Amino acid sequence: MTVTDVRAQIKERFGDALTRMDERAPGKLSLTVQPKALRELAAYLFGEMDCRFVVSAGLDRREVSGDFAVVHFFARDPDKTAIEVNVFLDGGNPRVDSITPVVPAANWAEREFAELLGITPLDHPDPRKLVLADDWPPGMHPLRRDFPHDLRPEPAEGVAFQPKEPPAGATVIPIGPYFPVLKEPAYFRLFVEGEQVVGCDYRGFYVHRGIEKLGDSVLTYNQIPFLAERICGICGYVHSTCYCEAMEEAAAIQVPPRARYIRTIMLELERIHSHLLWLGIAAHIIGFDTILMQAWRIREPVMWLCEQISGSRKNYGMNLVGGVRRDIPPELHPKIEEVLATVEKEAMAILGVVAGDTPLVMRLKGVGPLTREDAIRLCVVGPTARGSGVDLDARRDHPYAAYGELPLKVILKEEGDALARTLVRLEELMESISLVRKAIAQLPQGALMAQFDGEIVHGLEGTCFVEAPRGEDFHYVLTGDGNRPLRWRVRAPSYPNLQAIPTMIQGQMVADVPITLGSIDPCFSCTERLETVDVRTGDVRVYGQEELLRMTCEGRRCRSTR
Amino acid sequence: MPLYPLMAVINAGLALLLSPLLEGIMRKLRARIHSRIGPPIVQPYYDLLKLLGKEDLRAGDPWLGFAPILALASTLTASLLIPLGGEAPLAGAGDLLVFLYFVGISAVAVIFMGMVSWSPYGFLGSSREMMIYLSVEPVLFITLITAAVHARSLKLYDLVLWNHAMGPQISMVIAAIAFFLVLQAQLGRLPFDIAEAETEIMGGPSIEIGGPKLALFKWNFHAKLLIFTAVFVEVFIPWPKIFQFVPDLGLTLGKVLLTLLVVAGIDAVNPRLRIDQAIVFFFGVTMVSLAGLALALVGS
Repeated sequence: MTVTDVRAQIKERFGDALTRMDERAPGKLSLTVQPKALRELAAYLFGEMDCRFVVSAGLDRREVSGDFAVVHFFARDPDKTAIEVNVFLDGGNPRVDSITPVVPAANWAEREFAELLGITPLDHPDPRKLVLADDWPPGMHPLRRDFPHDLRPEPAEGVAFQPKEPPAGATVIPIGPYFPVLKEPAYFRLFVEGEQVVGCDYRGFYVHRGIEKLGDSVLTYNQIPFLAERICGICGYVHSTCYCEAMEEAAAIQVPPRARYIRTIMLELERIHSHLLWLGIAAHIIGFDTILMQAWRIREPVMWLCEQISGSRKNYGMNLVGGVRRDIPPELHPKIEEVLATVEKEAMAILGVVAGDTPLVMRLKGVGPLTREDAIRLCVVGPTARGSGVDLDARRDHPYAAYGELPLKVILKEEGDALARTLVRLEELMESISLVRKAIAQLPQGALMAQFDGEIVHGLEGTCFVEAPRGEDFHYVLTGDGNRPLRWRVRAPSYPNLQAIPTMIQGQMVADVPITLGSIDPCFSCTERLETVDVRTGDVRVYGQEELLRMTCEGRRCRSTR
Repeated sequence: MPLYPLMAVINAGLALLLSPLLEGIMRKLRARIHSRIGPPIVQPYYDLLKLLGKEDLRAGDPWLGFAPILALASTLTASLLIPLGGEAPLAGAGDLLVFLYFVGISAVAVIFMGMVSWSPYGFLGSSREMMIYLSVEPVLFITLITAAVHARSLKLYDLVLWNHAMGPQISMVIAAIAFFLVLQAQLGRLPFDIAEAETEIMGGPSIEIGGPKLALFKWNFHAKLLIFTAVFVEVFIPWPKIFQFVPDLGLTLGKVLLTLLVVAGIDAVNPRLRIDQAIVFFFGVTMVSLAGLALALVGS
């Protein structure tokens, strides 16, 4: 189905409720709908048009037009089409029908704009706090434009996260907020009978860094790429690329071919080192430290290569809106080929070990199952989706950088377990090596930066999908005044994937939970609270910072040295 | 019951003082397999000294401090019941059973420690430890009884002498294999370090202890390395033997080291199994060891 067909079908069904529909950029269909028809339209797009829900963004447009807006992003990947559903809301008390009842994957996205912008999703099934700290005062919405970026509300004591009640007879096993296999804080409360998980609850966002707020209140268009790169500690380049391409789409900047190829090369190098890093961590989770050490040893030359190209192992700082800041000179090409050849040989050996090692396969096969139906229902992305047989890859479906010119094999597995996700990543690693080779061979000559002297006017929109190692990364920008966006929305791949965890660990053994978590390669962000759960009584007690400090000093039953 | 004071000192001394070195060598091998340089082989001594020098925090349940002491004490007592190069220092009729009791007490102390830690991870670790103990202990028992049936004695040293004199019998080979297959679990090594499982339950039973208590707990694990492996090589691989204490002790320790290197190698190339998978495995090993015992009963 082409974009024109999609337009025609939506128009036929919702003609009266639509106030606007146009193709903002190739494959990007933007429409505005009356608020009362929103849920029906979302149900139609998700249920009948087989669209995938991407994310929602709340917009505070009061300084421009006196109203709030919500944009729900959908994608029809086989048609290379993205559909943006805008609703405009009252500037005083913005309320919108929740689409979570019909699109379950919208759960977090709607809770997020409820907290950050104060746009209330009506009939949301789980309106608990998601992003902000538990003691954040009600009624303060930090992403509203009139909220200063550096305002710190007073901390409060005695406010707690409202955990779900465990089912009768189940004990609570906390995983997190600090846990050996979670490299960043996240808190899963597992409800356990014996060794079997019967349910779970999640609290995350422990240190929400307010990066989007900085983007629309402090930084300028060309400073944001450097902050965007720091969103993730492993796959930062995907974020700066994603932001830059969204901005370039908004401002209609044509990036020179050489810059697009260099982006592609860096993205694929990043995927290679990210997948090797993941493989090591996943092996460590199940106790296989030899694979951890060997995978990271194999990974090291790739890091050195990145340092030679960009001056840094991580945070390459190469992207600007309009192109890249550093070239990959011909002298480096033999070096790149040498590193790729070594990595390819050694990664092949590891692939052989992983696929052929009986105990390893025993620990991965059938673990953390996610059926194709669930994967589609929960809108998971990346290797998590491809391991469940969902044919989805932003490099092919929504081409960016130079991917439109580089043929790509999308790796699919049907089993939907941790083993499938592992094999998808390992085979992708091989595919990435061949992509870098192709890109180097075809690397065009020419400029690195686009010539752009004009001003970026306000009110322009741009989106970009980038296939990060963990899955699809999505950025949305709405340009504003003062050389900075009015709104910059980031959705990292772990955002949808983490929402699938409760489905994946239901009925699993406790021992399989860490590797199931590991198998989606989650990326969280740091915490300042501690919660204890008394397994005998099920009582939950949350200690605040002051109380903890006091307890530490008093030493209660401990012999204090002070 | 004759007691050999000098040999008692040697056995307990080796279990206490040599075993950290064995651990250090195993760590070094593991590091080499990882392509790492690894810690110096005396690192476990440093670790123990450091932990022993720390403040002993008496937090939590008072019984928590008792469990590691009980575990190490029973392991050391068990060390007096095993032949190391010669007859066991506390040798007596039926020392095989007493040995099994004492290693049992040591395991129960660890389970107890997890129970009194009042941590969900401790509970899970203890429950796993118990399942492993209950499925591994029969194998230990059956394999040693297989040798006892042949030797018509429950003295461990008689089993050694009998096996040395008679040469490898089919049933003894089967028993040896079965014993070796559960050695990894007895020593808390991969793929069976399920009760500790750092990445799943953060050390399990030991989660709430630190300082000197943790030192004793670790020391117990080090001592078990020597004791279980020594029983294995003495009873099931007694050759060669020249019946002089010092060279025989040297031979035994050499065989212990070689066996532990194999154990460390297996540890380095395996992931951790799930408890249910491990129990299925141990059940299979139990069946194999029972077959060995049946063969021993009909005399082969």
